[in-house]
Amino acid sequence: MTKPRNSGPTRRNVLAGAGAFGAASLAFPHISFSQDGKVVTVRSYSDLQVLDPAFRVSLPEDDIIRSIFAPMVVPVSGDVWDWKPIAVESIEQLDDLTISFKLRDNIGFTDGYGQMTAEDVKFSIERIADPANESPYAGDWSALKEVEVKDTLSGLIHLKNKFVPLWSTTLPTPASCILSKKAVEELGGKFTTETVAQSGQYLMAEWVPKQKTVLKRNPDWAHEPGGFDEIHIIPIEDPATAELGFEAGDLDYTWTAVSSLPRLKENPPAGSVVLEKPSLAYVWLGMNQDNETLKDVRIRRAIQHAIDRETVVDAAYFGAAAVANGIIAPGLPGNRDSVTYDYDPDKARALLEEAGATNLNVTLDILNQSERLTAAQVIQANLADVGVTCEIKQNDSGTFWTLGSKDGDYFMQLQLILGRYSMQPDPSWATVWFTPEQIGVWNWERFDSQEYKDLHEQGLVESDPAKRDEIYKKMQGLMDESGCYVFLTHEVVGAIHNDTIEPGLKPNGESLLADFKPA
Amino acid sequence: MLNYALKRLGLAVVIVSLAMLMLFCMIYLIPGDPASVALGPRATEAMREALRIKMGLDQPVWMQFWNFYIGAWSGDLGKEVLSSRPVLTVVLEQLPFTLALIAGGISWSVALGIPLGCWAAVKRGSLADRVVGILSVAVIAVPSFVIAIYALLIFAVALRWLPAIGAGEPGNPGDQILHLILPSLAVGLGWVGYIARMVRASMLEVLEASHIRTARAFGLPERQITYRYALSIAILPTVTLLGVGIGQMLSSAVFAEIVFARPGVGKLVYDAILTRNFPVVTGAVLVTTVLFVLLNLIADLIVGALDPRVRSSF
Repeated sequence: MTKPRNSGPTRRNVLAGAGAFGAASLAFPHISFSQDGKVVTVRSYSDLQVLDPAFRVSLPEDDIIRSIFAPMVVPVSGDVWDWKPIAVESIEQLDDLTISFKLRDNIGFTDGYGQMTAEDVKFSIERIADPANESPYAGDWSALKEVEVKDTLSGLIHLKNKFVPLWSTTLPTPASCILSKKAVEELGGKFTTETVAQSGQYLMAEWVPKQKTVLKRNPDWAHEPGGFDEIHIIPIEDPATAELGFEAGDLDYTWTAVSSLPRLKENPPAGSVVLEKPSLAYVWLGMNQDNETLKDVRIRRAIQHAIDRETVVDAAYFGAAAVANGIIAPGLPGNRDSVTYDYDPDKARALLEEAGATNLNVTLDILNQSERLTAAQVIQANLADVGVTCEIKQNDSGTFWTLGSKDGDYFMQLQLILGRYSMQPDPSWATVWFTPEQIGVWNWERFDSQEYKDLHEQGLVESDPAKRDEIYKKMQGLMDESGCYVFLTHEVVGAIHNDTIEPGLKPNGESLLADFKPA
Repeated sequence: MLNYALKRLGLAVVIVSLAMLMLFCMIYLIPGDPASVALGPRATEAMREALRIKMGLDQPVWMQFWNFYIGAWSGDLGKEVLSSRPVLTVVLEQLPFTLALIAGGISWSVALGIPLGCWAAVKRGSLADRVVGILSVAVIAVPSFVIAIYALLIFAVALRWLPAIGAGEPGNPGDQILHLILPSLAVGLGWVGYIARMVRASMLEVLEASHIRTARAFGLPERQITYRYALSIAILPTVTLLGVGIGQMLSSAVFAEIVFARPGVGKLVYDAILTRNFPVVTGAVLVTTVLFVLLNLIADLIVGALDPRVRSSF
């Protein structure tokens, strides 16, 4: 028998190669690019989908858009809600209906689209406000009458009516980002991920879908420069994965799950800083007042008294979050320090008996997240204590967010719901979802109060903080009285970062990438 | 052989068509309005309706399926809901990452499973055989996501030997391989057990065969008999098993892609289901189905070419 000629790799070669590869992989320490002050790697919870400010989809996009398309103003990082100019040299409210602005004279668009002008401001703002364009953000500029161009760099923003949230939730958002009129028109009036005519502190250098977005410092930006040469944004949906990525040295900054905060605060990874910021979000137990089982307000009030809010919040958020007394977060006009119902199981039983509701069975719909499930289980136990049987129904996000929609077939069967909405730093952003127009849209409790609606409209034009405070407190009182709501918490925002960087964060913990700096 | 190949090809077309129908039905049975999910709370009813029309959701379901079916055979899988990018482009961007992950998983399972199974067969009844048997069952029993999390905690977080997240720098194969080690281990480790068991069983059968007895009678060295004459035959069922295993590895890849924040088709489909991005779900699942059917078709044709009994029985 002759030995055949071996033309390919032998078993020995393969094993030796595999061994060498294994040894080499162990010998190479994992390299982090982010420690040298030139590149910072941060996590975002979703990938980029749309860069057009008028059609943006998610919060991480807001941050990128603001960095690459210069906005008129941006929020300042810190603990107080405020704004600072970026593309404008000056901007001021001349009267209730007029705002004047003057652009800086040396901001240009990339790709040869020339200098930023007042005409670009007019185009960028009016295209969002124009109903024909169907921007989901048209409401930000709902009070806009027109933008008047005075000269190349100056203009006036004319409003139809007084609009107080303009300075807190319209201008310091991507709704004030200025695009090149010429470039957008060449793209057909709207765009998704094309990056022509950028103008911000950073430029988008690379987008690898589902992998990363790279921002590079704009070499032509003549004002306050970005803190890093490059910002690498990694989309990671799962906070636990992001935390592990941080602990492994792959990230310099990430949001964390609220449930991880106690562990991280007690035992932070070496060289890291753990942050806890108050959130603007609000979480509540809602009751559909048009559902047959819950029609009687005494039953809804009984459920309000049956819920031990402190235990629910402590259990769901591991003691990291405080109990809320409404939908408006601390620091904003209308924040309350109490609700009109207390935890009183005896009173709950009495109300149920008075309403003749014995052996009551209800369903609680929740989003399938661990915090919601824990909260729901405590609520279930609280309700069982007063004789109400509660079945918990978990839903994925695609299903959950359509449960109360009038276009569906479940909105009248909906009974209890564990809701959570995020908001902008103006109380009107919390109250807007519970007006009668929102019934069957986002008002799933079907709470129907004309007085509430009138107060909401008053709040939009009232600039006196004390009067606004009174208006929004009264509105939440009406929500209490309806029996449709048990307010639970505003949550907290957790974040962790390397001590080699100083993240720029809004008061509610949302990131401002352009404000990230080396420590 | 041509007749056999044509019949197998026809069957593959039927399987893909049925898979498309089933997929389409499943997607449209799940609750949730894609337009509401995609556009968020600030969209008006008019905007949602416009998006439903753009997605073709206003048409009867049978027509939606027909459009999708006809489009798919011509390579048009539609466009992504928000970015309007062609679905085929989106899927093909992610496919190499999943293929690399599966190839890595197969590499782990073959590199460890075949030697272990072979060794256990040679040492039949010994302590080594029992240890390999226990280990094989153990790695089969542990879910891949558990392996993924522990591998990540040990090798990325505690030891910091390997990266925890991502797929590595584009254009840097060394970095990409480093990023592949842990996820592919998570995907492939369970299959080490399957392959070790399969190779051991096949080897035991082959080692009793008459041609092996003949080789021994000729006085060939035991090592040569085992690895050249026995293993080359005993390994054939393992190849078939790996063909089936690719399908299962595709589902394990979803967990690995989520845990290690890797791009890939599994993660793409998962995200698309949550956001009711139906064109991406259907497109991505169709591409992976076609890939799976194609691989099995190739395996069948190879087996048919090698074994005339298979051709004649079809």
